[in-house]
Amino acid sequence: MKTDDANAVINGAGINFSFGQGELRKQILFDVELAIQPGEIVLLTGPSGSGKTTLLTLIAGLRKLQEGRLDVLGHSLHNASQTDLLQLRRKIGFIFQAHNLLPYLTALQNVQVMFDLQPGVTIEEGRERATRILQQVGLGERMNYHVSRLSGGQKQRVAIARALVGRPELVLADEPTAALDGTSGREIVNLLQGLAREQKRPILMVTHDVRVLDIADRIIEMQDGHLTASSRGSSSAENHPAKGVQNEPDIAAVTF
Amino acid sequence: MSQRIPLSWLQLKHEKMKLFAAVAGVMVSVVLMWMQLGLMKALFASAVVFHGSMNGELVIVHSQYEHLLHSKVFSSRLLYRLRGSPDVKDVYSVYLAPGEWKNPWNGEMRSIQCYGIETDSVSLKLPGIEQHLKQLRNTDVFLYDRMARPRFGDVVGAVERREPVELELNRRRMSLTGVVDLGASFGVDGNVLVSHANFLRLFPERKSGEIDVGVVKLRPGISVVSAQKQFQRVLGKEVQVLTVEQFKELELIYWRSATPIGIIFTAGTVVGFFIGFIVVYQILYTDVTNHLPQYATMKAMGFSDGYLYQLVLGQSVQLATMGFIPGSLIAAAMYAGLRKVTQLPLYMEPMRGVFLIFATILMCTFSGMLAVRKLRSADPADVF
Repeated sequence: MKTDDANAVINGAGINFSFGQGELRKQILFDVELAIQPGEIVLLTGPSGSGKTTLLTLIAGLRKLQEGRLDVLGHSLHNASQTDLLQLRRKIGFIFQAHNLLPYLTALQNVQVMFDLQPGVTIEEGRERATRILQQVGLGERMNYHVSRLSGGQKQRVAIARALVGRPELVLADEPTAALDGTSGREIVNLLQGLAREQKRPILMVTHDVRVLDIADRIIEMQDGHLTASSRGSSSAENHPAKGVQNEPDIAAVTF
Repeated sequence: MSQRIPLSWLQLKHEKMKLFAAVAGVMVSVVLMWMQLGLMKALFASAVVFHGSMNGELVIVHSQYEHLLHSKVFSSRLLYRLRGSPDVKDVYSVYLAPGEWKNPWNGEMRSIQCYGIETDSVSLKLPGIEQHLKQLRNTDVFLYDRMARPRFGDVVGAVERREPVELELNRRRMSLTGVVDLGASFGVDGNVLVSHANFLRLFPERKSGEIDVGVVKLRPGISVVSAQKQFQRVLGKEVQVLTVEQFKELELIYWRSATPIGIIFTAGTVVGFFIGFIVVYQILYTDVTNHLPQYATMKAMGFSDGYLYQLVLGQSVQLATMGFIPGSLIAAAMYAGLRKVTQLPLYMEPMRGVFLIFATILMCTFSGMLAVRKLRSADPADVF
């Protein structure tokens, strides 16, 4: 692993992290070192409690870095200010295990809201881009449905559209398939992979789901707070562009 | 960062029952505040209708005068001394005393306020009084207060039916010659206007020329304040020279201290404010609590605290507006109804409206700001 790579989207070394104070102090991460290159799809796996999610929240700037060095999208997270962290988070597309869409909005409105973070994008352009990405995730017919009327898989598609519509420089996903059945889970990761490849967005995805490991360029395993192994995935950006989206030809055809 | 999709409104209208409850709460609060402030103002205003009708800029009363029911007489010669001043256009004298009214229908005795006024000139600017002044010069006739309380008998009904009204006032047979609007108040249930001569017939113990109130009408362009100072110097310490506003204020000071009206209605207004405050707070608070995971998600995605505050406070302002308009319409209807029943001068005054708009917005914003504190517990790190 080349931790001194200047091009890396995520570049960290010597990361230690603990919860609690004094007697109750419990160390979660031990001397973690990782680097993710532009356009790379990296899966982070490992048993529950191994520290995957904590690492993800550190990268996302949602927790304060305690020890070590961590640069994300050119922001150094050591002693970063709240404003700086907010700026960083606006460049990241988030996909959560729980979609947490706003229940009082339609699918389209849930995606459009993201442009309130980008005042430079006009309302018309925002609506157009939101419409296009919803068509790409296969919800063109249901854009104006309130999210309460959508199925679990459809909601997760809206969440993906919401995460990607702002053209983030990095996508962080936490168990995006956990709440879905096998088929929907498969469709979701294929979709994510296709969109990411096409936009050359790097993805870091935490997952338990062995059924989706094949989309990765690289798989990192975590055990008790240590990165234990890093292996080449069965998919690779160089060798198999847009693999796994062959069933959804319209995705590759449309840009947004 | 501001909303380009009307998130606040979409969130508000998403749950119709909650929206209805919140708007109803604001409405009740607005109606209460209108009523309390209106009644307070009307009760006080009713006490100074006579004072406000002075056809002049300055009023002269005895130095020990406190209020209408506690007057002291002074010699009208003092008043006539002012006639010589080049600043003065005219002076008028008013006698006043409580009289005994015998209800001609049931024979009950009631106290009624009697004023002896000029009949050659207009000393009180009451609407339509000019047409009655000539008849008022006749012996043993009076003008009746149309807005007097009903306990004096159905005089107004009799006038409408064009029936002659005759009755005993201070055990003297008097006949009615017309009606004017003056109004009942704290210490006064109704009023009667008579000529100076008839006043002295009704109150034989009173001496001609010993008056209660003098009215000074200045020539146009004369400074009221400097005239007041000059006249006070000329007339000496036996009388006080007051502007009409000071004359009113003297009456109000007494009623404010003599009655708990100010405290009661101010407290009522505050209660109204808090009803709205608590209803809106409860609804916004549960709303924020219910949406906490969504808000945490939005924070994680990079939405600022300010954006989320705006989302909640936007709802506050919308609730304020939606409650204020129907609340004010209801209050207007209630004002009209009460005006008819109580003869109190209840009107939707624009200044009170402006004050209440601000009070309502403040009420909703306060509750919104209190509810928004809950947002701090939305920790974006918990979303993962």
